[in-house]
Amino acid sequence: MRTEILISGFGGQGVIRMGQILGLCAINQGHRVTMLKSHGTETRGGYVRAQIVISPEYVDSPVVEHADVFVAFSQPAYTKFYDLCGGKVLYDPELVEKVRDDAPDRHVPVAATQLSKETFSNQLFANMIMLGALTRVAALDYEAMRKAMLAVIPRFHDQNLAALDLGHTLPAARV
Amino acid sequence: MITVKAGGLVAPWIEWEKRCTDGRRLLEAGTYALTEGAIAAGCRVFAGYPITPATDIAEYMSKRLPQVGGYYVQCEDELAGMHACAGASLGGLKAMTATSGPGYTLMHDAYGWSITNEIPLVVVDAMRVGPISGITGAPGQGEFYIARYASHGGNFETIVVSPSSVQEAFWLTIDAFNLSERFRTPVTILTDQVISDMWEDLFIPADYDGLDFVRPRKHNLMMPFYPVGDASIDVPPNVIGHGTGVCVSAYTHTEEGYDIEEMEAQWAQTYRLVNKIRHHKDELARYETFGLDDAEVVAVAYGANARTVKTGVLEARRRGVKAGFVRLVTLWPFLDELFERDCRFVVCELNYDGQLVREVQRAAPHKKDVHFMGKSAELHTVSEVAAGLDGVARSNRLPELPYIWTEVR
Repeated sequence: MRTEILISGFGGQGVIRMGQILGLCAINQGHRVTMLKSHGTETRGGYVRAQIVISPEYVDSPVVEHADVFVAFSQPAYTKFYDLCGGKVLYDPELVEKVRDDAPDRHVPVAATQLSKETFSNQLFANMIMLGALTRVAALDYEAMRKAMLAVIPRFHDQNLAALDLGHTLPAARV
Repeated sequence: MITVKAGGLVAPWIEWEKRCTDGRRLLEAGTYALTEGAIAAGCRVFAGYPITPATDIAEYMSKRLPQVGGYYVQCEDELAGMHACAGASLGGLKAMTATSGPGYTLMHDAYGWSITNEIPLVVVDAMRVGPISGITGAPGQGEFYIARYASHGGNFETIVVSPSSVQEAFWLTIDAFNLSERFRTPVTILTDQVISDMWEDLFIPADYDGLDFVRPRKHNLMMPFYPVGDASIDVPPNVIGHGTGVCVSAYTHTEEGYDIEEMEAQWAQTYRLVNKIRHHKDELARYETFGLDDAEVVAVAYGANARTVKTGVLEARRRGVKAGFVRLVTLWPFLDELFERDCRFVVCELNYDGQLVREVQRAAPHKKDVHFMGKSAELHTVSEVAAGLDGVARSNRLPELPYIWTEVR
């Protein structure tokens, strides 16, 4: 079965890193994976999008046209790509203030930026909190995700693991 | 002439994959696969100038080549980069350069030198949308013809191939090096921003030294080189250099490599430059097909675009359209034989001017049955392709779709 995941936000938030960990995790479990990344030329700021497709067989089209999960890390990203998603929408309420009210059961607020600032005195770990929540919402193998994260992220393993745990155990993600 | 084998992929790496059981599975970008493919093929020199979306190839090469005893040269521009690669190849090492469209056009002087002196080389052109610098982070397919005519003056054929996945980029780079050694000519890998930047699962063999399908550079010092010679000589058995004592010249040259202005020399040399490729099209044909047996309409594509087009064909078949699919890996020499069938064609490519479609129009029996779906800077969507095939199957007309151009002239 083909699973499509769309993650989008600003440059520098770790959107591509999230996709990379997610993709490696799926490969380690024997799946085929594609990840398209589009971005502006800025190092920080600008828009970033990762389109991930996971399948037991070779993925023909790598383009996400009907996302099963959509992670929105900015208001412009939410507004631009909302219609591409028919499944769950994870969003950071600090960065996405205006959400549509016609599908409340599909929306999962994950206060990743706020939690990262409170717990680690730094918003840098927001993406790992979000990835933890995404792992739970999409019912992915959490142990495999932890291993993939450690293989991809070169430093600050303790904090990143704690952030992943934090996201994975959030009440909002238990759906 | 080639005999078309319908159904599935026709490429040498199908066998290679079966032979490589030991290796690693990674999540990596196309630029990584192109780099590792080159290293696996024995490339030991990279000279070039960075440009998005090929910069990562230069960066990976600068790390990898010193690890395997090779040389990375950052040149002042693309022209110098490809000339340095040509020099390295004459000196006995396999060489590669990588660029995007704006740099590819700058290389054409060196490309001509390499064609006429029969220097094996690999050039990667990661196409972005143009004209000129266009948009750095968006794919294009604007160099289909310019890769065929990668030098002025005519009287030559070129070899151009295009991968459709990260894994294929790895195998195809080894293949490109093999073809450049076999036919003594530069080979262009025409990839695009999507394949370069996309990350995908990638199998890398554990041991590059054990890859017996890699064609080695021959260092037979006592062998003659035939820059002109007898017209019956097919591909020179040797590369200039390696003790051949032959000069390198951009002019029509004698057997010793000196400039000559005699028609007999010109005729003999160009006869070989053209026919050493034309006479071996069967060795050069790499392509993928499906559904041709009962197809009333066939979608044609290459590169990254072929991925969504293939899914679009599957979607059209699900809707009851008798749709087939042709994906070209070898772009030049052009595989006319694939289009010599009585059906309708929908050619999907990433430009508004129409390039591949003109060759399909030329090769197909009925020009009115060849349709063009041109899109700029973005891959075709599955629904666009399915709608296009549906329309052509019903009425031999494409439906009007936003941002899709259908006029070829």
